[in-house]
Amino acid sequence: MRHWIFSCKKITRMISESMDRKLPLYKRMGIRFHLMMCALCRRYQQQLLFIRSVLRRNGGTDETSDQSLPADARERIEKKLTDEIKRES
Amino acid sequence: MPAVRKQGNDPVTWLNQYGDALYRYARARVQDSFTAEDLVQDTLLAAYRSRKTFSGQSTVRTWLTGILKHKVMDYYRKLNPEQGDENLDIFACSLDNLFDKKEKWKIKPGDWGGDPKNVYERKELMGVIHACLADMPEKLSLAYTLREMEGATTGEICELFQTGKNNCWVLLYRARMLLRRCLEVNWFGNGK
Repeated sequence: MRHWIFSCKKITRMISESMDRKLPLYKRMGIRFHLMMCALCRRYQQQLLFIRSVLRRNGGTDETSDQSLPADARERIEKKLTDEIKRES
Repeated sequence: MPAVRKQGNDPVTWLNQYGDALYRYARARVQDSFTAEDLVQDTLLAAYRSRKTFSGQSTVRTWLTGILKHKVMDYYRKLNPEQGDENLDIFACSLDNLFDKKEKWKIKPGDWGGDPKNVYERKELMGVIHACLADMPEKLSLAYTLREMEGATTGEICELFQTGKNNCWVLLYRARMLLRRCLEVNWFGNGK
């Protein structure tokens, strides 16, 4: 039983690691056991998962953003592209 | 305006049609707007130069986004993650302050309430996340961005930093701890 008991600090590290790889059984058990008793670490885990979900959702299509390419940049890029076309033809 | 442009592989048309979408994609992944603009430009130039390899099996937009994704990764590779190592220790120290001597929470995670409900709130939250990432040592924000936004594996991140897996997990751990704390203070207003 004692091998399953980890401090909050160690648990935060293990929870993070569990988001990057599959942990060995004793660590998974350790996290589960710790979370049963520790509301703060439960909260910590939920917050990390929440942040991940925000970033993942915002990756992909970025439908939450209404930014558009600034006009000056658009002009600059268009000039580069037409130069390139001229250079090739 | 040269009249020789052929339909279908005209980069100016791509710029007009997909410029905004590409810019948004880049903007969500790099921290300043100028870099995002450069990435869009590089992408369109690269696409034009390799237009013969476009098979037409995907849409033009998907094809361009694929090129941009590589440009983003290249950009991060060139950032030279070796820099900023000396700062990491200071940040490790500030993480240690979150816990007491018995390694229990000293600065306790606050109640964040519900998730941001509407698009407006989510957009603001993304802004705060970007600001928090910009404040971090570059090595941490880079590892973290690649992992969570680009979906890179730990293996890919280790390769980029030329370091062992254990070290990568520590980098990601520190980044998560700092970002969580930064959001708590700056977004959820629980900073004490």
